[in-house]
Amino acid sequence: MSRAAQSMLLVLIGAAVLWITVGSGEYVNYVRPGFRYLLAPAAIVLLVLGAAGVRREWRGTRDDDHPAEHGHDHSRGPRVAWLLCLPVLALFLIAPPALGSFTAARGTGRTAPPPAAPTEGFRPLPRTGAPVAMSMGEFIGRGYLAQTGDPASLQGVPVRLTGFVAPGVKGEGGWRIVRLKIACCAGDAVPFPVTVRGLPRPPSDTWVQVVGVWTPPATGRSRTVVQAVRGRSLQKIEKPRTPYE
Amino acid sequence: MSDHAGLREAEDDLLPPAEWGREPASPGSRAAWMFGVLAVVLVGGRIWLAPHVSARALDAWSTIFVAVCVQALPFLVFGVALSAAITVFVPASVWRRVLPRRTGAAVPVAGMMGAVLPGCECASVPVAGGLMARGVAPAAALTFLLAAPAINPVVLVATAVAFPGSPEMVAGRFAASLIVAVLAGWTWLLVGKGEWIKAPSRPRADPAAGRLEAFGQAMRHDVMHAGGFLVVGAAAAATINVAIPADRVDAVAGIPVASVLLLALLAVLMSICSEADAFVAASLSQFSTTARLAFLVVGPMVDLKLIALQAGFFGRRFAVRFVPLTFVLAVSVSALVGGVLS
Repeated sequence: MSRAAQSMLLVLIGAAVLWITVGSGEYVNYVRPGFRYLLAPAAIVLLVLGAAGVRREWRGTRDDDHPAEHGHDHSRGPRVAWLLCLPVLALFLIAPPALGSFTAARGTGRTAPPPAAPTEGFRPLPRTGAPVAMSMGEFIGRGYLAQTGDPASLQGVPVRLTGFVAPGVKGEGGWRIVRLKIACCAGDAVPFPVTVRGLPRPPSDTWVQVVGVWTPPATGRSRTVVQAVRGRSLQKIEKPRTPYE
Repeated sequence: MSDHAGLREAEDDLLPPAEWGREPASPGSRAAWMFGVLAVVLVGGRIWLAPHVSARALDAWSTIFVAVCVQALPFLVFGVALSAAITVFVPASVWRRVLPRRTGAAVPVAGMMGAVLPGCECASVPVAGGLMARGVAPAAALTFLLAAPAINPVVLVATAVAFPGSPEMVAGRFAASLIVAVLAGWTWLLVGKGEWIKAPSRPRADPAAGRLEAFGQAMRHDVMHAGGFLVVGAAAAATINVAIPADRVDAVAGIPVASVLLLALLAVLMSICSEADAFVAASLSQFSTTARLAFLVVGPMVDLKLIALQAGFFGRRFAVRFVPLTFVLAVSVSALVGGVLS
């Protein structure tokens, strides 16, 4: 791989990363939103590095008699570096979407452990009868607490959940609304599923908001059961700006 | 050995072919072999793979592949920048002045010094070669080589980011990697023979082109080397994530010894840069802490690209002894440390 090709590849990578970070905002499909503060400077460093290399090639000030250091010549890149084109091509040509029901279905065997409650405990829910919007993680955490402790803390309160549609599991009835939780990047996504009963199932991967009331799991079931709601209303929505929790 | 042959093909402008002492296969027979392998892969893929590949599986694959690349990129870039700065602006003679005269004592000091070279394993091999060429005892230089990619601040920060809320993973990685590096150095001091290492003949020459130019050159070189292998690792991680049925991996993940060995082997095969491997380890969430620790300890010390680099710099006679020694030490020490942690 020649030095000109290396420099231009660096410019390409830097431009692609900068584009998905500050241009299109697609980076939230792959990493947590906070990562933009790392991604943008890294992309700029790559752009500058590549541009400096291209400028030097342009001016023709190549030092070809540059001594070969420790066994191999630094001026020629390894062939394996061509592979760096692959993620750039994928970003521009495929623009991989956020993970959806395929990944959620793969995790059905193992349910994520219920998220721990904040140290001061969940705030008490308002009892006005209006639906309370909450994240899937919070709902599952509250559901787990209600299941193991005081069911009255959640029973009868309508909640509004946002997620995508995934098929249900046999024997459970209904279908599932799922939001994926990532710790770092999409590679470590774990599903937060909630079973919805009493509403018609939209097509898989449709983003929806469901208003429903928590139904306590049947007694005698294991503690890691998937929490369920009795649905009251369903609204199709656009994909949220941050697809993961 | 087919792994070595494959590597050599991919890297033949990185490694001097003469080092391998291998008779070149005639172009005709090589093409026939390639064709045979390709035919087997295609037929096998049609029978076993094609029924399971759907558009949604491909989508998930490409998302995870891009996600691992994007996630690792900032750490790679900043790590390489720091490594290039130290390589260019700190002369190697400083290292020799800092090390104790007695080799036995120099080994642990060299291991601790690994904590200040924020590079990945591609960077540490040339630096260790430079140290040897400037008179540092091989055992100490090798300890540095093993420790530097695993316990430097960039890698530890990346590990802490990848495992939020479990600082024991960072501590375990630091402790286990340092212990393995020091033990390997002492073992080499006791039983190693000088003639096994082909000392690098050319010391690092200061380029006349100016420091800033040398800095850019070193950075470009490291990004190209490490980035290419990172893409390989991301593709392997995405494939494992999408293709291997979760219950089958879970079945292995439940067996203590098998899971440790499986992840250690995966670390060797996937050859992920140490600045990025913590994120892959975090995605293997069905495995035990011990198994993931083994992945993090083995990866920066033994993997396919390192074997190739070490054989290139120090000769094959060195690599066939040093690589198994490091692998066995890394697996057993991380099993012990993982047992203490969990």
